[in-house]
Amino acid sequence: MTTVIETRGLTKRYRKVTALSDCTITVPDGRISALIGPNGAGKTTLLRLLAGLARPTAGELAVLGGIPRQDPAFLAEIGFLAQEIPLYKRFTADDHISIGARLNRHWDAAYARDRLRSLNIPLDRAAGTLSGGQRAQLALALTLAKKPRLLLLDEPVAALDPLARRNFLATLAEAVADSGLTAVLSSHLLADMERVSDHLILLATSRVQLCGDIDALLAEHHVLIGPRKSTTAIEKTRTIVQAVRTDRQTTLLVRGNAPVLDPDWESADVGLEEMVLAYMGQDCMPAPGHLTTVGEKQ
Amino acid sequence: MSWLTWRQHRFQIGVAAALLAALAVLLLVTGLQMASQYHSAIAACTATHSCTNQGGLFLGNHAVGFLVIMTLGTPVLAGLFWGAPLVAAELETGTAQFAWMQSVTRRRWLAVKASWMLLAAAVWGGVISALVTWWSGPNNALHLDAFNPGRFDIMGLVPVAYALFAMALGIAAGALLRRTLPAMAVTLAGFIAVRAVIALWLRPHFMSAVTTTSNLIRGSTPPGSYWQLASGVLNSNGHPVPQVNGPAAFGIPLNYLPASCAPLNGGATKFAPS
Repeated sequence: MTTVIETRGLTKRYRKVTALSDCTITVPDGRISALIGPNGAGKTTLLRLLAGLARPTAGELAVLGGIPRQDPAFLAEIGFLAQEIPLYKRFTADDHISIGARLNRHWDAAYARDRLRSLNIPLDRAAGTLSGGQRAQLALALTLAKKPRLLLLDEPVAALDPLARRNFLATLAEAVADSGLTAVLSSHLLADMERVSDHLILLATSRVQLCGDIDALLAEHHVLIGPRKSTTAIEKTRTIVQAVRTDRQTTLLVRGNAPVLDPDWESADVGLEEMVLAYMGQDCMPAPGHLTTVGEKQ
Repeated sequence: MSWLTWRQHRFQIGVAAALLAALAVLLLVTGLQMASQYHSAIAACTATHSCTNQGGLFLGNHAVGFLVIMTLGTPVLAGLFWGAPLVAAELETGTAQFAWMQSVTRRRWLAVKASWMLLAAAVWGGVISALVTWWSGPNNALHLDAFNPGRFDIMGLVPVAYALFAMALGIAAGALLRRTLPAMAVTLAGFIAVRAVIALWLRPHFMSAVTTTSNLIRGSTPPGSYWQLASGVLNSNGHPVPQVNGPAAFGIPLNYLPASCAPLNGGATKFAPS
């Protein structure tokens, strides 16, 4: 399996603010990857770096086998949809399709029109008069008409109501399945992306917390429930992501598949949301070896 | 990109073309009137050999003359309404993001847009200047003041250069400030400041001034158009008479006039030195 995105130690600083630090991720071909993180975690910065709209301060990245750059050949392969869903307010859908036809090497105008017709989005009304959901669908149709190999969508459903969200993601998943492209969708809500994605990149406080196939990540995380006792033995073989201690009970979220021999601990599978929230709860982790614990006086 | 630029600006270009057409009609009609007025005046004075002093002849009407002087401000309009929003408005509304994610580099996006806008500014300044220069022909022949500030600045190549400058300033301000309204303010202020510095402090030094001395009563008329930077009166020793600051005759303070000239001043002899 080839990789579409590969970064190593990617860092972006804006004057004094570090938007992204030491980001190392890999996204294989044909995946829909959910880029999840709280607001300000660096999602937009990462997507802009991948799209070639910004240059990294440090680190390396390869997208579709090359360095993202301002070059028509590279730009033709990338479909980037910014968070604010940029459209010319006074131009109609047809106008946008004509603009795309003139500014792109590959452009499937018929595809965009068919798509919009099937969604009952008028082609002859100014984009400014369309609803939020229709604008998002129009922008997605335009992004897909470019026939990109990599789709980067920044918070594509943030501004949509639940029904429009669902429709948008459904059409997106269908389009991705049809064309075999790779997509990275960012969101601050896991629930939005859970249904459509099979790959996860979790960012918090400008650092990558998790990156990988969702099933594989779930398989290597477990919840251990046991009495209030020392966790030193477990820490030797596994990484404790989160520890919640009450007077009688300790609940651990651990990473690693080494067997737990102590019969006091009961192991259970972890849900995606539980796992993601545990990592998001970690404020600023310098390195995976120095995890802080929640609910413990230090 | 050229098509997109046209598509985005065709309304503004239409408005500008309509304004230019209205100005053209007004100046052509009044300009033709002035030309015939001038030619008949010349024919009349040639017949009576009295062409030496035509300075008092007034051509055209005051309203159109005022409008023509006001074309001094037209170059900055290009920078304000086309230049400042060119990049800033696209950044504000996010449409730049749309354009940048087509298969067009940001460099080309800016280069094409800016080139067409600069061309539009040059045409805007050029058409206005051509009309005004043609319209002013008889007046320039009559008054020889085409180099004076306020006349020089609305004729020939100058408005084209100022329109290009205003446009470049507007685009740069919009790109740096990233917001339309502040960019427009900076464009207007910057244009006026540069304009004032050039007109008041730099232009007088573009050529070294020529000093000529002539008889006070007969006066002198330099050949061709000229810009008079300063004038003064010399006394019989060739030294400048101080600036007028009080009662004067012929630009000479009364207390410098010889006593024999007192009758020239009417009843003003009481100011003469005792």
